[in-house]
Amino acid sequence: MSSKAFNLTRGERVFSIANYVVLTIIVIATVYPFLNVLAISFNDSVDTVRGGIYLWPREFTLENYETIFGYKSLLTGFKISILRTVIGTILGLLSASMLAYVLSRPDFRSRKFLSTFLALTMYFSGGMVPVYILFRDLNLLGTFAVYVLPGIVSAFNVFVIRSFMDGLPYALQESAKLDGANDFKIFYKIILPLCKPVLATIALFLAVGQWNSWFDTYLYNGNKPSLTTLQYELMKILDSTQQGSAMTNANDLANKMAQVSPESIKMAITIVVTVPILVVYPFLQRYFVGGMTLGAVKS
Amino acid sequence: MKLRSTQSLSLLTLSGVLLLSACSSNNNDEAAGSSGSEAPSTASASASADSGAMDTTPITFSFFGADASPNWNNMQDEIGKVITEKTGVTINAEYDIASGGGENKIALMAASGQYPDIIFAKGELGKLVDAGAIIDLTDLIDKYAPNLKKLIGENTNRLKYSLDDQSIYSIPTNGGVDQQYFDATGGFEVQLRVLEELGYPEIKTVQDFENVLKEYVAKHPTTDGQPTIPLLLNADDWKSMITVTNPAFIATGAPDDGEYYVDPTTYEAKLHYKRPEEREYFKWLNHMYNEGLLDKDTFVQKDDQYQAKIASGRVLGLISQEWEYGNAENALKAAGKHEYTYGHFPVTLNDQYQDHELVSAGIDFSGISITTANKDPIRTIKFLDWLASDEGQVLLNWGIEGVHYNVENGKRVIPADVLDKKVNDNSNFMKTTGIGLYTTFSMHYGDGVQDSTGNYYTTNFPDQIIASYSDAEKAALKGYNATTWKDLWPSDLPVKEWGALYNMQAPTDGDYQVIYQKTQDIIRKSIPKAILAKPEEFDKTYDQFLADLDKAGAEKMESIYTGLVKNRVKLFTGKDIQ
Repeated sequence: MSSKAFNLTRGERVFSIANYVVLTIIVIATVYPFLNVLAISFNDSVDTVRGGIYLWPREFTLENYETIFGYKSLLTGFKISILRTVIGTILGLLSASMLAYVLSRPDFRSRKFLSTFLALTMYFSGGMVPVYILFRDLNLLGTFAVYVLPGIVSAFNVFVIRSFMDGLPYALQESAKLDGANDFKIFYKIILPLCKPVLATIALFLAVGQWNSWFDTYLYNGNKPSLTTLQYELMKILDSTQQGSAMTNANDLANKMAQVSPESIKMAITIVVTVPILVVYPFLQRYFVGGMTLGAVKS
Repeated sequence: MKLRSTQSLSLLTLSGVLLLSACSSNNNDEAAGSSGSEAPSTASASASADSGAMDTTPITFSFFGADASPNWNNMQDEIGKVITEKTGVTINAEYDIASGGGENKIALMAASGQYPDIIFAKGELGKLVDAGAIIDLTDLIDKYAPNLKKLIGENTNRLKYSLDDQSIYSIPTNGGVDQQYFDATGGFEVQLRVLEELGYPEIKTVQDFENVLKEYVAKHPTTDGQPTIPLLLNADDWKSMITVTNPAFIATGAPDDGEYYVDPTTYEAKLHYKRPEEREYFKWLNHMYNEGLLDKDTFVQKDDQYQAKIASGRVLGLISQEWEYGNAENALKAAGKHEYTYGHFPVTLNDQYQDHELVSAGIDFSGISITTANKDPIRTIKFLDWLASDEGQVLLNWGIEGVHYNVENGKRVIPADVLDKKVNDNSNFMKTTGIGLYTTFSMHYGDGVQDSTGNYYTTNFPDQIIASYSDAEKAALKGYNATTWKDLWPSDLPVKEWGALYNMQAPTDGDYQVIYQKTQDIIRKSIPKAILAKPEEFDKTYDQFLADLDKAGAEKMESIYTGLVKNRVKLFTGKDIQ
């Protein structure tokens, strides 16, 4: 590789340098806020108000983390968040890939109709209130199932996996059929192993989506502290500075401000809430590349 | 992928899901079962409760609060446990998050018919009343709530919903009855070191304020190596209401009615910016900016930059409320820089105006309602009544005797270590003790009211306030011959007949909200423009601003609002107004 550098033309070298510069700027712009949050979370709370903390804590302390790990609700949220991410991802993957396989088979008679039907659901939704009433009638309110069951099949994921499966040669399936495999065997033993890259991608979408969602906790499980999620706990202590549509008044605002959490506690919880998913991501990386070259067919 | 691992993986997932759904449905059944089984026992118990004994069979009420309460600890705090022990009631509370308001959740409740037993609905009460979800409390209060009746006193008219519907849908809990302000925490603020050096000059008008700042900054252009900032305002989003626009009516003698000014004789309401006095106030701000006394970055900085500047100790003057910059001031106090903290002054445009900030609005605040989903309203109202009793109020405000306060010679005293935690680590203090978490559950007296033992109901009273002043503050106050900042304010201003208009429900349908949003957007844009304009351009910019307001429909909005104000005065006072 290094010998190539000597053979670059001047134009290529300029482009290369410009490339590096732009990418470095993007990296700094993306990583800096995170490092800032990390620094503030390790900083003493009273000192944080003075501002001016950029990359390094001025008065290092572990007190913020000690405090938040004492919050019982945070530990419950941790458990529930992990559970819903794992279960929601696996369920979502299975159902999306199964549906995608069915839709990718050219001999499936309702293929066109079902695909259109599925696509329509991507554009229309019932709205917040009808969906809530539906969940109420299905007895989903106040349960863990409301995190994983609704939306178990995401039309977008199905189409992504289906396009990938369409790219696989049909000859594979034909030869498996000749050997006497039924549909399930073809799906599990042949198609799914080949789909590892796309499955890893979709798994990542699902996992991040499940990990980050708090609005469903807010709407459906707000009155059940045993089913709280990590993100919802974070939202509870973050105060937003938006004004509601009603006129606010000074007395009210004063009451609210009295309950504001210190900045450094907010930052500490942000770190605790973000780090798990950050840690998982690199392990899924290798599946993107692997699986591409399995089962080559001479066509 | 080996067959075995795929199979076992899917088996695991499936069983996991089944297990969890079974578990959660079990919980539902348990909850339904327990509240169901309560019915027969409470039916018999309520019969005995009428005879005066407090029914303490365990019961759980669900609750929703439209304001966020991040320190809520599921009643596991110290006074929560005492409440459950004495009344048998456990509250399963859910609060709204972040900026609150509860609009989403209450809309869902109104549409789906799923209500909690008790609710603190604030501005959204109208939706629930329209959905028929709230019960009328008039008879319940009359028959079962002697303590609430005492607190309400003669003000029953103020609790009624409207002229057409005179039921009582909520008992006001979001404020204290007969609240007296013992300290002024608003007005205009000046750093204590400025006051000391200039020999405690009189600061009564904006001109005095300006002179003081000008004189000091000329002598001290830098503070700790950084440029001194004479005046700083916080214009980040809604905070500009507190520091930029509200002071316009405070300094010109009008009380706080949100964005409106109501004429006390004709009861006509108009946007307060239309008053000619306020134009003069904004002109003064424009003058301050052009003189270089108002920080150049005022309208572009964010809230945390504002707080950081204050915490650095180089801002000489503020126009704000103490809770708004309190965090930054605490940072200064923690560093021992007490002479960099602020004193408060009731500054007005000129001496013909009086600061009406401390005018009482009477009983007029949002509160607790009982919904139709509540299976035992009588038990509920008795519980709320107990919280409003003397015993209940002292528990909620002071805590547990011997733990959070002691009684010495008949006076309630807070020990120093408890006070220290309360002042310096308030968040955790609230979470562990529960003091301050339960006050919105029932009616309570405000500051300044004493109970039968001669002690105050709340922990804010003159001796306490003076004890919490720093030495620098006490020295400054001595220079003004005052014991608290409130002494500098005018007193004995009459109670407002229309309550506090920011608590009045504004119509949610029709054009009103649309026009209101439009006018708010215009105000947010135009006021900074007017202040940043060149002095000779100010009048033109301000005239344009007023014209824009009327073009957006302000007059229509004001006439709708005037109608509401007149109805309110009729309801509250019984006067007949055209």
